[in-house]
Amino acid sequence: MKNFADVQIGDTLGPVHQFISKDQCRNYARQCGLDAPRFTDDEGARKEGLPGMILPGNMSLGILSKLVTDWIGADGGARLVRLSTTYRVPVQPDRTLTLQGFITHATEAERTAEIDVWIENEDAERLVTGTATVQFDK
Amino acid sequence: MAVNYDPNLIGRVFETTDPVEVKAERIRSFCEALGESSPQYAGGEVAPPAYAVTFRNGRHFFQHVPRFGRAGFDAGKDVEFVRPIRAGDKITLSSHVKEIYEKTGRTGTMVFVVVRSTLKNQNGEEVAHIDHRFMNRT
Amino acid sequence: MSTTLDLHTHSEASEDSRAPVEAYLNWIKLRRAERPLDGIVLTEHRQFNRNADYRHLEDKFGVMVLRASEVETNYGHVLVYGVNDDILKRFDFANVRLDAQELINEVARMGGIAVPCHPGRPNIGLYEHYQNKPSLENVIAVEVLNGGSRKGEDERSAELVQRYGYSAIGGSDSHLVSLIGLCATRFAAEIRSIDDLVQELKNGAYEPVDFRPRRKPVPHAEAVVTR
Repeated sequence: MKNFADVQIGDTLGPVHQFISKDQCRNYARQCGLDAPRFTDDEGARKEGLPGMILPGNMSLGILSKLVTDWIGADGGARLVRLSTTYRVPVQPDRTLTLQGFITHATEAERTAEIDVWIENEDAERLVTGTATVQFDK
Repeated sequence: MAVNYDPNLIGRVFETTDPVEVKAERIRSFCEALGESSPQYAGGEVAPPAYAVTFRNGRHFFQHVPRFGRAGFDAGKDVEFVRPIRAGDKITLSSHVKEIYEKTGRTGTMVFVVVRSTLKNQNGEEVAHIDHRFMNRT
Repeated sequence: MSTTLDLHTHSEASEDSRAPVEAYLNWIKLRRAERPLDGIVLTEHRQFNRNADYRHLEDKFGVMVLRASEVETNYGHVLVYGVNDDILKRFDFANVRLDAQELINEVARMGGIAVPCHPGRPNIGLYEHYQNKPSLENVIAVEVLNGGSRKGEDERSAELVQRYGYSAIGGSDSHLVSLIGLCATRFAAEIRSIDDLVQELKNGAYEPVDFRPRRKPVPHAEAVVTR
């Protein structure tokens, strides 16, 4: 169970290393009714000026959301109440992504914690950045 | 130089989608596509927070949104998760254009259209607010 | 006494950042051993907030907060230090097609300095524009270390400095609290105000400094097979 009293500014989430295959990317796109070629095949993506297939933005959002909900844990005590994402650079599948977060701010009165989160590629370039707000039970 | 669009567009809700019933099976396959195995979500009774971004606007919505330049991309989202989505919920989505602005980035001049969507369940309770930044290369 | 400043930062006043200034200063206080900053310069996108007052936060955290702006021109993005009423009257900072040469000349005449940032970045950096347009005149310094650079971008910036003899600065370009101060600029002189900063950027001695941690190689994870 996550407790507000245990939250320390500077604490980290991850790093988690996650390999996302092209099949996983296609599967996610299919599940969500995203049929644009950029999410399903390299050739179609290149026609759109991309380096190859890319992950849907929502999939990156889902990956970062999971980073935060895994940190909260299944026993509750807190809830993800806000997540903002910026897609800086397209995320390509068949790569190992590194997910990381830092607790940057906590508000005693509201019992909330702010967390920086991001997805990096193997070259440590930040592809997707975001901030999450976690609300702790009062 | 400002972007050229009809300012009356901002804030107008053009349509509310028909309710979409959330099925446990859909939640389970969403979890599988994201590699989500946490017991609180994988069973399909409660959806992970990121499930909120999978609901789509009605097919007529984008007829009302001006197009700027070439292909549009997802530039990011700011999601407020108000309450969990559960199997059996019937979700409606209503959207309006919140903001339109221009900036320049690695890929050239871009016009950002921010669409704000509100998700409600069958009891009329707000489930999530999503600010979706669509980026159009000009 | 030298001064180390992060010359390129964005707070929640910029549309693409959610970082409160207070959280930035608290982070600097926590990480001072790794990122020894004396202060930051807020360079919000396409705007200058002349009424913002951070004195109470400066006192609370012992970190200086100065204000500048990042604007957009036909040669890419440019940091403007020493923004005053004359400059704001002369230029519409919201315009993403400002004329870079005019900006550089006029800002200098009106008492400020315009510094092209992330010059090695595609489209919004000087390097690419110099491939097909004449080089700009009266450029004193450019940003060679940028905390948001992709692979090769800082190297292109360094090449430009070498070729044109520009002075070099560094800034984190932080949009997130935890990324503040990853790159900065060390000045030989003491800087206590935006006027001091403009003066030193024009005539002083300074160098970019890199506080980015070096990451260990990424182990490859097992692929998850989708059914």
